[in-house]
Amino acid sequence: MSYFFNPKRFYHSLGRRRFWEWLLLVAFILFFYGPLLHMFMLAFADKYEAPGVVPQKFGFQWWEYVLGQRTLVSSITLSFTIAFITTFASMVICLPAAYVLARYEFPGRKAVMFSFLLGNAFPRIGIYTSIGIIFYRIGLMGTFPGVLLIHLLGTMMMMIWLPSGAFRSVPRQQEEAARDVGASPLQTFLHVTLPMAWPGIAVAAMFAFIGSLGESEGTLLVGLPNYRTMPVEMYGVILDYPATAGAVFALILIVPNILLLLLMRRYLGAETISKGYKMG
Amino acid sequence: MQKRTWKTNLFIVLMLLPALVLSLGIIAYPMLNTLVKSFRDAEGAFTLENYRFLFTDKIALDNIWFTFWVTAATVLLAIAFAYVLSLYLRFSEGKISRLIGSLYLLPRFVPTLVAIYAMMTVVRDSGFLNRVSQLFGASFKPGLLFNPKGIIMMNLWFNIPFAAMIVSASLSAIPNSVVESARDVGAHKLSVFFRMILPLSIKDVLIAMTFVFMSNISSFTTPYLIGPNHPMMLGVYLRRQFSTYMNYELSAALSVVIFLFSSVSAVVYLYTNLKQKEWEKVN
Repeated sequence: MSYFFNPKRFYHSLGRRRFWEWLLLVAFILFFYGPLLHMFMLAFADKYEAPGVVPQKFGFQWWEYVLGQRTLVSSITLSFTIAFITTFASMVICLPAAYVLARYEFPGRKAVMFSFLLGNAFPRIGIYTSIGIIFYRIGLMGTFPGVLLIHLLGTMMMMIWLPSGAFRSVPRQQEEAARDVGASPLQTFLHVTLPMAWPGIAVAAMFAFIGSLGESEGTLLVGLPNYRTMPVEMYGVILDYPATAGAVFALILIVPNILLLLLMRRYLGAETISKGYKMG
Repeated sequence: MQKRTWKTNLFIVLMLLPALVLSLGIIAYPMLNTLVKSFRDAEGAFTLENYRFLFTDKIALDNIWFTFWVTAATVLLAIAFAYVLSLYLRFSEGKISRLIGSLYLLPRFVPTLVAIYAMMTVVRDSGFLNRVSQLFGASFKPGLLFNPKGIIMMNLWFNIPFAAMIVSASLSAIPNSVVESARDVGAHKLSVFFRMILPLSIKDVLIAMTFVFMSNISSFTTPYLIGPNHPMMLGVYLRRQFSTYMNYELSAALSVVIFLFSSVSAVVYLYTNLKQKEWEKVN
């Protein structure tokens, strides 16, 4: 054992530079992936009692338990429904604005862009509580439109800034060339601009989707008691359920995000995503 | 620029309208409402009492200071780690750097609650770390729950990858040829860093700092689940004033105070953004 785990030996066999690289990799994996991998293990543990490091018995017992809870299962359907509608609505509302902000110069353009950042500077909890009071007054508390509005709030900045940056990077000459050979403005947009800006739009849509899927603070305030999404249930699960059941539910929450991450890998560079945090 | 027709102007307005109406309705109006409410007492009369309370009450002041230093520590540590990580990813070639490069974005995709839950099962007193330590006959308790260390650790988990992503994007925009030519004429590694790489990426470092600062100064979920009860982060304090004590006016004033702190970083952001535009004009 000590033959393999002797750090000195390891150091000299790799050389100084490679040794530090490996150390970085190990620290990175342990810190960022360790907790998630551990949770993965927990989710498939039937019996996991202290001081066992590895579960005494693996199985699907807790999956049956979680999937047998009516409220938890219905929260899964609800979360996906809300996330789909939020993403779609956010695109319909924000993309036209993103296009105009990218392509036209007009007074107040910068202010409009900046206002979305300022909206982010205001504490979310503060906006939620204030919206909560307004919703009480106009009867939107605990209703589906109310929840939807709360979810839209979280998507707006990204859905404006990121596609706006994407539209901006489509060369104007390309659009003009299409117009010159007789394409209508709409045709130009659909066949030239949109395909070229697509990666940015797709990434923004994906962030809207997973943002909505993970939104808990606002829904907790506005949606209860009628609309309990997965993250809202998760609060209760963290506090009341056995750790193994919590791990199952957490895993169900994370699966769609990981699938999306894999599906969109082609588009997901640091360059594309970071455009969502810069006003163009 | 040619003069635009009224049709084009109408088009611009119509395209902007839905997003503007929505953001006025769910961002601007609630913000204004909060601002007005913060100057009212429970009967609706004008008062400065809410603000006076926040800056004189012992508990409130404790919470403000606590939030400040937890946020400052988060920002500084996250940016420092993220910068080193980005430098490594940018200037090192090899399997390990490519592997980390493809793995570091994941935390951005993990829902807050899931990440916190996963971390809790590892670091709590009967958690994984404790069980591993018992293999070696010790009983190691990390003591990372319900104190500021735990909040900062969790914040780093979320924010190092985020900041590294922003900084990486800006570092990858620096062409290799620029760095190489400086090295060719004999510039030392350190001077290449301080005179080229740092100045070229400082704007994005500030952008990353702005967002890390903003999202952490008002954070709720992390401190609510793993933070201490006293002193507590302002996000939790605000939520408690609202839900438990139903003190809507005080929680409104608290929102405004947090907003003012955040706005400082928003202005820094705007300033760096405008400055860069002037610099571009010269070219």
